[in-house]
Amino acid sequence: MPRPAKSPPPTTFYLLPLNFPTLQPHEAPIPPAMEDIDDILREFDSQNAPSNAKDYDDLLKWWINERAAPEILQYQEDLVERIMTRVRRQIEQIEDQTGNLDPRSNFQLIIVQTELERVKFLIRSYLRTRISKIDKHALHILSTPTIRHLLSISEQTYLRTHQALLNELYLSSFLKNFPGNLKRLDDSAGGLTMVEEPDLEGAVFLRVVRDVNVAIAWENGEALDMRAGDVYVIRYSAVREAVGRGDVELI
Amino acid sequence: MYGELGYKLVVHAKRTQALNQLPPYQTDIVRAVTREVRDLHGDIDEITKSYDGDFNPSEDPARACALLVHHLCIRRNKRCLLAYHRVRAEKIEQMCWNGMDVAEQAQAARVTEGDDNVAGTSSHALSPEEDEYARQYGDMLAAYKGQWTDIDLTGSLEPPKDLFIDVRVLKDAGEIQTEYGAITLSKNSQFFVRQGDVERLIKQGFLQKLS
Repeated sequence: MPRPAKSPPPTTFYLLPLNFPTLQPHEAPIPPAMEDIDDILREFDSQNAPSNAKDYDDLLKWWINERAAPEILQYQEDLVERIMTRVRRQIEQIEDQTGNLDPRSNFQLIIVQTELERVKFLIRSYLRTRISKIDKHALHILSTPTIRHLLSISEQTYLRTHQALLNELYLSSFLKNFPGNLKRLDDSAGGLTMVEEPDLEGAVFLRVVRDVNVAIAWENGEALDMRAGDVYVIRYSAVREAVGRGDVELI
Repeated sequence: MYGELGYKLVVHAKRTQALNQLPPYQTDIVRAVTREVRDLHGDIDEITKSYDGDFNPSEDPARACALLVHHLCIRRNKRCLLAYHRVRAEKIEQMCWNGMDVAEQAQAARVTEGDDNVAGTSSHALSPEEDEYARQYGDMLAAYKGQWTDIDLTGSLEPPKDLFIDVRVLKDAGEIQTEYGAITLSKNSQFFVRQGDVERLIKQGFLQKLS
């Protein structure tokens, strides 16, 4: 018997591990006639609004970047906002569906929930990484306006309040008894600065996304052509801008 | 000797890093170091005053050396104090993030440390300033966290592998509500529950995760 020429349409599970919000529990299988329209729609979609899968990949990318880069990077406000909207929608959906005892949808629900937990973990870890960097280089960030603007509004509030609190603690604990010229916390006297800065000269691993030309601070100011797909170990300061533009991603 | 007390503080700070609880605040040492700084600064003032502003180091190397040593001592003491307080502040922050009750922890520390200290009640784990700091930091953290209620920022930083996990109950935790109904967590029982529901209890030490 020859096998039927047309294979059954792929189930929704197929895309799941990467596309968390695309799965709608209880989604009816798409009738064959509708598939073409769907394809067209999908094409249209990818040109306009950033798709769910891309957002997820982006989040993953920025999370890894943030964890690998020595300094704090631009806060991905739009991205986080978009994903959070979907997370909230997903939570609502899950709440609607619980209590449903149909084993098939129950299984789907578990997958959706697992996916949700993973996305929540990504965002949590992303934000926590930023907070730990903010705490570590607090004074440096506070004193450099260009870096300060990389933070979200609430992160800026956190930074300022935290520093005020710390200052207050030091001051009331012992600094108040110090002679005036020694009360500062951002001294650099004696060849030793009190402000901790990120080490931009540290090496990072990266993968090239788009072809870029990076100027390396060699004696002769040589430039390095990096082709898409290549993997490098390089000094962070050399690729700083490229990371910000998204031309390369840290790994 | 100059700086000896400062060194003690640093040793305390180092020890604090390795502990789970916050050891009692070394009020006496902190006060002594601060006094040392004030005295040294007074000495410096006296020396410079006796010269009326036209002090030439190369004419009187002994005095110049004394000034330098005084200055270095003050700076070193300041560093020691800052380091000590910073380590403790970080410890407090960590407790806030872990959702522990700082005051309660301090109480526990006081009890254990009290064993080798007859006048145990007089030593406080947290200085009043640190108490205040802990409270305000907690408030600030709550404010920041409040914007991310769906994410639960203080949640686990381990990537989630399974939605449901096996847990064993170490301490009676009463009844909790989950999407699948209420569970009574009584000691030594074992459950298969959703990780998100019990994470907090694991952190607080009521439950143990079984792998």
